[in-house]
Amino acid sequence: MAAHDTQHLFVTTPERVTLSLPVAGVGHRVLAWFVDASLLFLGWCTLYFAASLALDVLQWLRALEGLLRALLLAGAFSAQWAAWTACEVLMGGQTPGKRLLGIRVTRRDGGPVGFTESAVRNLLRVVDFLPLGYAGGLLAMLLGGEARRLGDLVAGTLVVQDGRVDLSGYLGDPAAAATGRPLSPAEWELLVHFRARRAWMDSPAREALAARLARHLLGPGGERVEDPGVAESALDALAGRDAP
Amino acid sequence: MNRSALQRFVRGRKSGWDELEQLLAAPGRRTLGQLEHLDRLYRRASSDLASAQARFPGTDVERHLTQLVGRALGTIYRPARASPGALRAFYAHAYPALVQREGRYVLAAALLLMCGMGLGAGVVAAEPRGAELLVPAAIRASLEAHELWTDSLLAVAPESASASIATNNLAVLGSLFAGGLLLGLGPVALLTFNGAHLGAVLACAHHHGMLGALLGFVAAHGPVELSVLVLAGAAGLVLGHAVLEPGEWSRAEALRRRGRDAVLLALGAAPALAAIAVLEGYVSPGTWLPAGLKAALGLALAAAGWSYLLRSGAPSAGSARARDARALSRSDNTAS
Repeated sequence: MAAHDTQHLFVTTPERVTLSLPVAGVGHRVLAWFVDASLLFLGWCTLYFAASLALDVLQWLRALEGLLRALLLAGAFSAQWAAWTACEVLMGGQTPGKRLLGIRVTRRDGGPVGFTESAVRNLLRVVDFLPLGYAGGLLAMLLGGEARRLGDLVAGTLVVQDGRVDLSGYLGDPAAAATGRPLSPAEWELLVHFRARRAWMDSPAREALAARLARHLLGPGGERVEDPGVAESALDALAGRDAP
Repeated sequence: MNRSALQRFVRGRKSGWDELEQLLAAPGRRTLGQLEHLDRLYRRASSDLASAQARFPGTDVERHLTQLVGRALGTIYRPARASPGALRAFYAHAYPALVQREGRYVLAAALLLMCGMGLGAGVVAAEPRGAELLVPAAIRASLEAHELWTDSLLAVAPESASASIATNNLAVLGSLFAGGLLLGLGPVALLTFNGAHLGAVLACAHHHGMLGALLGFVAAHGPVELSVLVLAGAAGLVLGHAVLEPGEWSRAEALRRRGRDAVLLALGAAPALAAIAVLEGYVSPGTWLPAGLKAALGLALAAAGWSYLLRSGAPSAGSARARDARALSRSDNTAS
């Protein structure tokens, strides 16, 4: 999941456990912004056309049409602020885009964002946008420690990764794994990650790696695993499951 | 048993983690039984995290538990939801108290605006050609032709004018506040410049004998609009002061502490802008109200607003509240 060079936010919970939450990078945040901005744009277009259509049909409401348009225009300005703030407060620090990208806003003490913090960080999008296309915010994120834009600095918030880690690789079948010596946690980690990533490897690299792993994990008597297919099935047996 | 300790750990504990994850994701209200279960599962997961950190550092298990406990932490220690009651309390007590507490910034912003107005009016009064510098050409032309450029507001539909006025005002408010981050230069420059612009236009109108007509247009919405500008400018000055003089805190920490007050100061005034936009779009350009009545309306609104800001919110209650808030934030710090 997280590379070793990502920054972390350290939070001590009231239960005296220290969490180290990985800080979300610029790329994820830009993508999440694109998703949210597109959704907002779509929403406003739909609303505007629906309102115009409805008013065309109901001729007797014509007197109100101007007022409604005015409200829509004024709304469009505050929409981005209101929608962002409402989402972050109600969805536990996430907007639809942030949820899709697996990131979430949190206070610096690890707590969830409340209305004021969310209002501040979204209100200051105006400054972060300056002079063009969030250049100011990006600069602040790159120069500062924890990828916080100016709005985050003032609100005392930051954005952390909120990814799901798949643990199914650790379960396996107890009967099949009952052979050979016990593996250390680091070796298990190696085995699980190899099995999770091998689908994307080139076959020569994959075979060489499987052979090396099998030699290391199965210990002496590993000569018979020089054959690549055998090496991988031996690793699968060690992990305690059939190959996925 | 030959199975690794890591595998045994995951196998024994995973069902509880999955259950916690499901409880966290479940929408809607939770029953009391569910809450107790959630609490139990959360404590179990955080002690699992502590032992994973000691026994299996750097593994996916540790990362999974970190994410899980982090998410649960946000659900369990959730701050109180903002309610309509809180909004009422904000306007009944907290906002006037805030304005009074930050009174010196409000005063400074008002003085800046007035200085700008005096400067602009003085320059144009002393040397009418100064208007070429300070008053836009279109406005000068219409003043010279003895017609108000604001008359054209009526030619387009008033409601769309109202909408564009609302967005324009919001943009000015936003940049007054946000410009405070630029060492406070934003609000200082904007307040002075807007003041100078306004003063110059008034003086130029006087020069062409149009002052009465112009004041007739401005009177209904002007006083309140300028008041909101002053409040937003004060919010910007609060931010700027925090950047310039953070005191014992780091600049980021000072910004965080003062930023909250600054935002509330600016946001609290925003609803007044919406009301003003309606006045400016519908009442000000019309001829169905005599100028005197418009002026009385505008001044009365502004007077009501300021007397609300300066007199309600019972100062003793306000300061007790502030003390509570300060004590709270102090205990926050010692906890974290």
